Amino acid sequence: MTHDALVAVARAVFEAAGGTPVDPDYVLPADIPLELSGEAVRARLCVFTDNRGAEMAMRPDLTLPVAQREAARLEAGPSAKTYTYAARAFRLPAAADDPFEFTQVGLERFGYAADPSADAELFALVHRAVEACGVQPKAIVTGDLAIFPAFIDALGLPAVTTDLLKRAFRQEGGVRAVLDAASRPLDADILAALNAAEPETALAAVLAARDVPLVGARSLAEIVEGLRARRAAIEAGGLPDGARTALLALREVDCSLAEAADKLAALAKAHGLAGADAALGAFASRSEKILALVPGARRSAEFRAGFGRRFTYYDGFVFEVLADGLLPAQPVAAGGRYDGLIAGLSGGKVSATGIGGVVRPDRMVRVRRTRT
Amino acid sequence: MSRLTIAVPSKGRLKEQTEAWLAGIGHPLRQIGGERGYTAEIAGLDAEVRLLSAREIAQGLIEGNLHFGVTGEDLLNDLSPDPAGDFRVLKRLGFGPADVVVAVPQAWFDVDTMADLEAAGAAFRKAHGRRLRVATKYLRLTRRYFAQKSVGEYRLVESAGATEAAPATGTADVIVDITTTGATLKANGLKILRDGVILKSEAAFATSARAQFSPSAAAARAVLTGALSQGDHDF
Repeated sequence: MTHDALVAVARAVFEAAGGTPVDPDYVLPADIPLELSGEAVRARLCVFTDNRGAEMAMRPDLTLPVAQREAARLEAGPSAKTYTYAARAFRLPAAADDPFEFTQVGLERFGYAADPSADAELFALVHRAVEACGVQPKAIVTGDLAIFPAFIDALGLPAVTTDLLKRAFRQEGGVRAVLDAASRPLDADILAALNAAEPETALAAVLAARDVPLVGARSLAEIVEGLRARRAAIEAGGLPDGARTALLALREVDCSLAEAADKLAALAKAHGLAGADAALGAFASRSEKILALVPGARRSAEFRAGFGRRFTYYDGFVFEVLADGLLPAQPVAAGGRYDGLIAGLSGGKVSATGIGGVVRPDRMVRVRRTRT
Repeated sequence: MSRLTIAVPSKGRLKEQTEAWLAGIGHPLRQIGGERGYTAEIAGLDAEVRLLSAREIAQGLIEGNLHFGVTGEDLLNDLSPDPAGDFRVLKRLGFGPADVVVAVPQAWFDVDTMADLEAAGAAFRKAHGRRLRVATKYLRLTRRYFAQKSVGEYRLVESAGATEAAPATGTADVIVDITTTGATLKANGLKILRDGVILKSEAAFATSARAQFSPSAAAARAVLTGALSQGDHDF
């Protein structure tokens, strides 16, 4: 089958699930992806400047412009909506054989109940689109970006440590850096200022005494907040041993999806983390539904605790479908949940759950070619 | 480009020191058309000599439009999308030292490391609804280093000059810039992060990995590399 034929096949699968076909704006203000995902995405972003010098970007996927349109629509009032598309997206190549522009065929659902059934159904739909294109998944990697935060919350640590660890989880080697960080003591005058009745005033006096100007947009209040976090980390003497062992053990979980729920539950039990039960219950229910809807996933789907943490706007279930003849960084399909995306794009004005998935016909053409 | 093409800095201390180095390896530079001319010849070498800015030399080596050149390692590493595939440093010349560093306001007593910067950046985004701004001329080096350190809570602002003033003037909160003594940073109320040294740069004699060498260019290359190894014994 040609590329266009695969597009048509995949498109029919998604459109059969219902939804409004869309082909939103090709060009976005570069601020949208950059503020949302940070400078790291720039490496893949096709950016140019308009006649006034403002940075613009070609859409790097369809999720962003569709979500942007949805955020605008939701200002009139909340309602659920499904969109489908077979449309061009643009990225700077990561590998020599990556194209600049390619077609993504997929679906986005906003405002529906964010439950295990919705996750499993989306997964099954994307899987069906891949199979309809005549590609047999070699492996399916899944993750759940809600599990690590649930474990952290269940550890009952001070709020600053909790925030630090949740953020560190998203960074390469971040959690280990936090766990291993030797506490750096604060200077005596700074510590005294922090312990004063009015820390900001006292810190301003320290700046004056040291002849240090306050430049940049961070305020004294923000610096005091940062210092409090440092002091708390120092006072806690790093992480309690139990918490440390639990997090390092969680990080190591890498097994078949079929075994994952039991493994995670055993881990939580062993460390007395009853607070993670709700997230683990949802995880178990989703895994069960996935394996019921897609029996083949019992063989092909794995679960990695750290998977997807670099996918910036995703915040729940995530997955990628891999096939023969392509690099692990070149999945033929991918998807996941981003319940915070609409709120993030609208600056908190509106919010709605979000989930979506896409297939890449251009890569599936290559898989089919290597096979024959 | 059948003739060997070699570029040297067109002005300033970098030019003087390059001339001294060339004379030292037995191939002195002679400028055609006096001080203001932009072409020159190198004694004992069949080569086209171009007088260019350090930035143009780095770009020319990366694109393969020059065979050899003297320029800063900071520019080579920043302008090249693929340093290993674009150029080779044949000799570090010991002058034009400059560290490319990440610097933040000294008043940020809570930020000493790149990890602290990421934490401050995340809190900043919550408080201000935008990311921390990092001003720099070194866009690629910055992006690469921040990614390597897993720092993502920032936005780059391209700086056209006087980067060290960006925090004071409000165009950015953090800078990535070159420094030799750190005095300018200090005068602007900034400090270098503990793990904030991205590159210890100096002037370098480099060759392009992309330029093609004709037989005559290859012959001139042999003369030059011979002088270079000779020079090692002299110094």
